[in-house]
This record gives sequence, structure tokens and C-alpha cells, in this order.
Amino acid sequence: MVHNFRNDITVDWCPGCGDFGILTALTSALQELNLGPHDVAVISGIGCSGKTPHYVNAAGAHTLHGRAIPVAVGVKLTNPKLKVIVTGGDGDLMSIGAGHLVAEGRRNSGITVLMYDNAVYGLTKGQAAPTLKLGVQTKSLARPNIYDAINPIMLAISTGYSFVARGFSFEIAHLKNIIKQAVMFPGSSFIDILQPCPTYNNINTMDWYKKRVYKLDDDKTWDPVVTENDPKAEEKYNRAIEKSFEWGDRIPIGIFYVNKKIPPFTERLKQYVDNYESVPPAAQDVKSKDGKPIVDPFETFKDKIIV
Amino acid sequence: MDFNILIGGPQGGGIDTAANLVGKAVATSGYGVLSVREYHSNIKGRHSYTHMRVMDKQPRSLKYPVNIFVALDPDTIFEHLDDVSEVSTVLYDKTTEDYDLQAARMIMRDTSAKIRRILTENGFETTIRGALGYMKKRGAKLLPIPFSDIATEAVPDGTPSRYYNTIGAAITLAIIGIDRKFADDAISYIFKGKQQVVEENVKVVDASYRFAEDSKVAGKTLPALPTPRKLLLTGNDASALGKLLGGLRFQTYYPITPASDESTTIEEHQNIKWIGKEAENLRKGGVVIVQTEDELSAINMAIGGALTGVRSATATSGPGFSLMAEGLSFAGMDEVPLVVTFYERGGPSTGLPTRNGQSDLLFALNAGHGEYPRIVFSSGTVDECIYDAAKALNYAAKYQMPVIHLIDKNLANTLDLISKVDLDRIKIETVELAKEGDDVKRYDLNTENGVSPYTTMGRNIFWMTGDEHDELGHVTEDSDIRDRMMEKRFKKLETADREIPLEEKAVLIGEKEADITFVTWGSQKGPILDVIEDLKEEGISANLLYLKMFSPFPTEFVKNVLSKASLVIDVESNYTAQAAQMIKLYTGIDIKNKILKYNGRHMTEDEILKSAKEILNKESLMVVLEDGS
Ligand SMILES: Cc1ncc(C[n+]2csc(CCOP(=O)(O)OP(=O)(O)O)c2C)c(N)n1
Ligand code: SF4
Ligand SMILES: [Mg+2]
Repeated sequence: MVHNFRNDITVDWCPGCGDFGILTALTSALQELNLGPHDVAVISGIGCSGKTPHYVNAAGAHTLHGRAIPVAVGVKLTNPKLKVIVTGGDGDLMSIGAGHLVAEGRRNSGITVLMYDNAVYGLTKGQAAPTLKLGVQTKSLARPNIYDAINPIMLAISTGYSFVARGFSFEIAHLKNIIKQAVMFPGSSFIDILQPCPTYNNINTMDWYKKRVYKLDDDKTWDPVVTENDPKAEEKYNRAIEKSFEWGDRIPIGIFYVNKKIPPFTERLKQYVDNYESVPPAAQDVKSKDGKPIVDPFETFKDKIIV
Repeated sequence: MDFNILIGGPQGGGIDTAANLVGKAVATSGYGVLSVREYHSNIKGRHSYTHMRVMDKQPRSLKYPVNIFVALDPDTIFEHLDDVSEVSTVLYDKTTEDYDLQAARMIMRDTSAKIRRILTENGFETTIRGALGYMKKRGAKLLPIPFSDIATEAVPDGTPSRYYNTIGAAITLAIIGIDRKFADDAISYIFKGKQQVVEENVKVVDASYRFAEDSKVAGKTLPALPTPRKLLLTGNDASALGKLLGGLRFQTYYPITPASDESTTIEEHQNIKWIGKEAENLRKGGVVIVQTEDELSAINMAIGGALTGVRSATATSGPGFSLMAEGLSFAGMDEVPLVVTFYERGGPSTGLPTRNGQSDLLFALNAGHGEYPRIVFSSGTVDECIYDAAKALNYAAKYQMPVIHLIDKNLANTLDLISKVDLDRIKIETVELAKEGDDVKRYDLNTENGVSPYTTMGRNIFWMTGDEHDELGHVTEDSDIRDRMMEKRFKKLETADREIPLEEKAVLIGEKEADITFVTWGSQKGPILDVIEDLKEEGISANLLYLKMFSPFPTEFVKNVLSKASLVIDVESNYTAQAAQMIKLYTGIDIKNKILKYNGRHMTEDEILKSAKEILNKESLMVVLEDGS
């Protein structure tokens, strides 16, 4: 039986919020992938976006502001069979949790990061988030934004995520498709999701985006996938980076970059940790039937035997 | 037999090798050895030393003045002017006598000024010659060593300075009376796999022993004693071992002194050797260790590990623990079984990064916003670290709360011999899991003891949030549920208090009634036990109230012991007597007499003894210990 990934918990996002579309895209993606109720863990930080796990009918942890990625990585590395999904805000992932976002690129544990990009701090009433452009004045700001914005796509590619894409919360089918691919991808994926916040972001509205977004794969020559011994690997990387700067009258959505050559952390661990693939930590027995240790202290610490 | 030894030299200059040589040779000949490493926050050049003690039995403490003082460089002599007396033999390089204090750039400016003052005030020139004169005046016997000649004689074409540490160690062994063959064995052990280095160093040992004999300092060769198999472990190692025994399979860390050695030790041993019969037919695999991007990540990643049911931990020291505070509060709120091994060093801030301290007890008890239950306990010996590390994982699993295991830097860096790892003392608790299915209440309120059935991601659907939550783990601000959840979480602490045996919380060691009752926690345990014996010889009876657990706190027991005691002396390595503060908070008993030390150096038997007597004789109420370079 197909598991229904939506539950009946009351959703308390503002009417018209882009988060609804993301939730729908996520739950239908999981459903279409035919994942079981215990195959998935959804981990979030704090923010409007952070409420997502409660609305998904799967194991979920709504953790601390900025700390979703470390928690998710802990889940993934101890139980690599799980599909672990992070749902975070742009403030959560690129400001207070920026260190983890960057480190996870290098680590590439095989998690899927969905960044709810509304360019504001929704839950704290609309302050500027790291994706709000310099000089833009959204509703809550007393003066135009005095920071410049991060380019999330470029950040993700350059830090080592092996699947980098952008979606739009009002292009649900398109977003769902990207999420499906990202979740099934062995390496870590990052999806920047343009998410209108009708309550606080009166600049980057649904209509504003609708007029601008276009799909990368409308261009039939767009091929973002780097494969083993790909002669065009460097070209694809450079093109993705270049594309990531396109912002204004036209805003690309779709898959920017996929690199199949980067071995995820779980693959790297296999080289060093006995039975990591067949018996990862979550599948291990750590005691005998009667509760005794099964570790031989002297044999395990043989190098410390002095006499 | 009882030798206190100090071997000093520049950081990175082979002090550890020298100490290991002595330790290995002494241990294999069947005698006891204990040592502590003191070092600067520096990689190469600054003064570092090992303080050791060699006895027939296994020592529990260290003592000044030392009997054998080995200076591998001039700085060592300057740094330890007052650590010698008439019981000491000072081994130094004869060619360094003209060396001027001014040239010793690696001695910290303040220390240099202090040395200058001491020498000048006592009428000595500020050179090694002057410093040796000062030591001689204190009664020390000087033994100039022709380091370079010995090295060249043994290895004519080698770089002499490369062998100074071996020479220092070998002459030390000769003075103690350790049979040369054990020194040779130690060389082969330490330089394993480097045949040429072994051969050269064996020749150096030979030349050094001959020198000791010719100089008439060699001791009578001690008989080799039969000895069981022993592990040589630091507190770091012991905690690592205990964690593996206790079922740890996931540890995260961000590098920091003196904690990261534990994690790297686990990493080096992540592929476990199993006990055949116990482990048969079980699903077994290695331990996953992750060096994270920071401590925020370390604690949260360990929390993630716990969510899949894996026994998970992180290890850090003060600065890192500060960053972990918010994660700790989350683990408290969300009832995550999490172990944080908290290695205490000298604070505040970066403080004394490589030195001892016990100034984080109150912080460990209070870190993290809001009110939530936690278990906070500490170890005092290397042996205890093994069992306590395993216990910490049990406490966490059983009571679903963060457990903070405190180990002070002195203990982390103490090398001790462990002859028995008693697996019968370790029982890995079985955790009751919610039944499989989709409707578990992770925070079920219907419990007697506050502990709801645990479950894991991959097994059940459940939710969790750092917000106050209902039984399913969804956000709630309902005032009644809030009350019930607060009560449920704290109920677990009552349960823990009821179930954890008293001896895991506090112990009265020694006679029930005594002239002096010492109170301490952490690594002062060993020295105080020795002080109790010293006092006994002088006709003074003393006992020790040894505290291990501070949350839950063994209030009744402590109150009972202290209200009957005559003279109570609190001994701690901090400024504000934090354990005494806890005692006052819980029992109302105000301990007036204190022996405190906050200069970052390890407490020694002699200084505790001396100050205890001062307090007993009413010469002072409180003594601040200042020994150690
Ligand atoms: C450590 C910490 N600092 C500050 C906050 C307050 N806070 C809650 S949500 C939030 C910002 C949320 O913005 P974003 O991550 O972009 O999520 P959104 O609400 O826009 O989805 C802040 C600053 C917090 N919860 N924790
Ligand atoms: S504040 Fe903005 S982001 Fe938050 S729920 Fe409302 S519309 Fe959505
Ligand atoms: Mg936001």
C-alpha cells in the first residue's frame, strides 16, 4: 500500500504562503517514490519552514535554529538506509547555520537539503535574510537592506553538493520532480526553493516570480550531469556557476548541476569502518543476550598493552 | 621503593619518549608507575615535562620534591628551581652551565622574571651555573651528564642531541635499579619497526647504564616481579575504551585540548575486536567517528545519532561545551539519550588550554537555557574512567536525558597501569522500545517513572520539537500539557536518583570517624588517599567523602557524613570551591576549610598534606596551592 505522507495536523502558515506548495511537492514526491513510512526522516531548524516535519507523516525532528543539518547528518550516518530530508529557511541554513551548510558540501553525507528561500526571516517578522538583495526594502525593514545577498546555487556547487537545483513553490509538479531526483541521489543535494512570503516579502511575490522564472531544461541542450570520465566536466561546472548569476528579468529554475563522481561520505566511511554498509551503527547489536559487553578490551586496545 | 621523577625539555623534544621508556621498563619489570604530562599550548620549543612516580605498588599520586630530576635542556632547570631538595639528584648537561637566563627565550616573560628574582635574591648568578648553585643550596645532589659524549660513544656518526632523551631515561632507570634488559625491551617496544633506531638506542642505553655505574649512582638491580598483562592508559584512553565497551557506536567531536585525544583514540580503535563467545551470531560493525565543523555541529550530530537508537556521544572541553549549551537544552527537552564527555581545563575563555582545572562543575550543572533534567557525574582515576564512560551511556539510555561526564585535564593526561578490565562490572541496559507501528506516543505521559518508551527513526513515525510538545511530539502551548511534560521530564531525575546506587554517587572512604574529613571530586582522589595514609603515620586519622555525582545529588548521604564529621576540608582545583557550593545548596552545610588550586597544575600529595596540617593546627582556614611549573 502506498503510504500517505500527509497527516492531518493543522498547518499554521499564513494564507498564500509558498510553504504550502513545498509541502505538497515534498509529500507527493515521497509518495510517488513509493517510500515506506519508516524510510524517511524529515529534519528542520526553526522558522516558518521549520514547522514542515510536523506536517509530514514520517519521523520528524524540529530541532534548533540553524542545526538541522548536523542532526540530519547524525541520522544519516548512523542509519544510511534512511532518506533524510532537511527543510530549512534561508536564515536558518545560510545565516545561523551557514557553517553547517558549507561543511555538509564537503562532507556530502547523502542528505537532501530544501532551502525555503523567501529572502526574509518569516517567523521573527520579516527581517532581511541572506538572500535579500542589497538595497531592497521589504515591508518590515526600516531602511533598505544594507547587506548584499548570497548566491545559494553557487555556494552549494562550490562547497561540494553533488546535486544542486532551484525550484519555485508555485511550480509544484516541477519542484516535486526535482525533489524525487534529489532524494534518490546518493550524494547530498541542495534545492533552493523560491518561496514567496506574502506577509513580509512584498517585493519577491508570487506574481513577481511568475513573470520571471523559466525552466532550464526548456533549453534542450542543457545537460548538467557530470559522469565518470566526462570530458565536459569542467565546462558543465563553469556553466552552472555562470547560470547561477542569472537573476532579474529572467530567473532560471531546474537542475543546475549534478556530479556523479563525488563519492558521498557514506561511501568514504565504508573504506574505514568494518561492515559499515551491511551493519551500520543503527543495525548493530552492542551487547550479548545477557547484557554483557562484546568488545574485547585487551585485543581492541592491543597497542596499549605494555606488559 | 618510592621514586618521584621529573623529566623536562622542550615541547616536541622527546619528553614523551623518555617518559614512555621509563614507564615501559618499570612496568615490564613488575613495578608500579604513574605519570602526568604538563605542557604549554605550543607545538615546539616551550617547556614541557612529565612528573612520574615509581613504586613497588601502583602509585596513586605524585609528589614534590622529586628524587630524580632530568633536565634535557637548560630551561627545565630554570623552570623547576624549587622542585628539588636533599632527596634529589639533578641530571643535567654539563656543557650548559654558562647558559644565561636571558637566552632562554622560550621561558614565558613572567616566569623568567620570577626566576631572575629568586636567583638574585639568593645571591646566585642568572645562569645555569647559578641555578644549579641554588638547587645545591636546597640540598640537591648534582650529576653532570656528558650527554654528547655518551651519545657519540654509542653512535659515533649520529646527531648526539637525538639521543638525549634516551640517555636521560636510561640513567633514570639505572638509578632506580631497573634491570638493563627491560630498558632494551622498552627501546624495541617504543621504536617498533625501526630496526636501526632500535639498535642505536640500545647502544645508547648501554653507554648510559655504564655511565651510571661509573658515576656510582646506579641502584642495586631490582628483582623482576611477575606481572599480569597490563594496559598503559591515559584518562582519555580509558574513557574511549569504556565507551566502546558500553556500546558507543557514534561519536562526534571538534578538536580541542584535552578532549580530542579521546576521539582520535576511538578512531584508531574503531574496528573492534570481539569477544568470541559473547559476540557470536550478533550483528557487529565498527564505530563511526566524525570530526565536525564545530561543536554546535558535534552535539547536534550526536543527537541525530541517538535518534536512530545508536549509543552516541561527543567529547569536548570548556570552550566547546559553551557552544554546546543550546544543543544540551534541546536534548533535555526532547529526552535524547546523549553523552557529553566534558574534559575540564583551566578557564575562563581560552584560559589555560593545556592545564588542569575543575572550574566547570557549576557550568555543567546549569548550561543550557530553561529547566531540564540531566545527569552530571565525574571520574577521579583512570580506572574509574573506563566504567564511568560505559555507565554514562547506560544512564543516558535509561533515563533519556543528557549525561555529562566530567574528567579533569589532570586525569585526561595521567598515564596509569590497568591490569584488569572487569567486564562483570559493566552491564549494558536494554532499552524498552515502543512497539512497531505508526501511532507511538514518543512522549507518552502515562508512565510511572517519567520514562516513555523510546523509539527510533527507521522504526516508527514520531515527531519531536524543541518547542513544548504533546505526547506525539507536536508543538503545543497548552498550559496543562506544559505542566504535565515538565513534571514528566523531572520525574525521570527522581527515578534516576532512586535507582542509581549510592556508591555511584558518593563514597566515604576510610574510617567512619576521623579527625579530618576531606571532601573532593575528580583527580584529587588519589593524592588524598595517600595523604590519609601519611597522616595516619603521624597519628592523625582522616577519611574522604568522595563525590562522584552532582545531579542527582546524594543529599542525605552527604548531609549525614558531614554533620557527624569533626574537621571538614574541601579540596578542589578551582577558585570558587564549586563542589562545596553544591553541598551548601543541597545540605545547608557550609564548609569553611578549603584547599584550592587554580594555577592549572596537578595537585600533589606533599602540598595537600602540608596544607591539611596547617588547617588542622589552625594556622589557616583556607590554603591556595601554588606548586608546579
Ligand atoms: C538561536 C536562535 N536565535 C534566534 C532565534 C529566533 N528565530 C526564530 S526563527 C528565526 C528566523 C527564521 O528565518 P528563516 O530561517 O529564514 O525561516 P523562515 O521563517 O523564513 O522560514 C529566528 C531568528 C532562535 N529561534 N534561535
Ligand atoms: S510569515 Fe511568510 S513565510 Fe511565514 S508563514 Fe507567513 S507567509 Fe509564510
Ligand atoms: Mg526565510
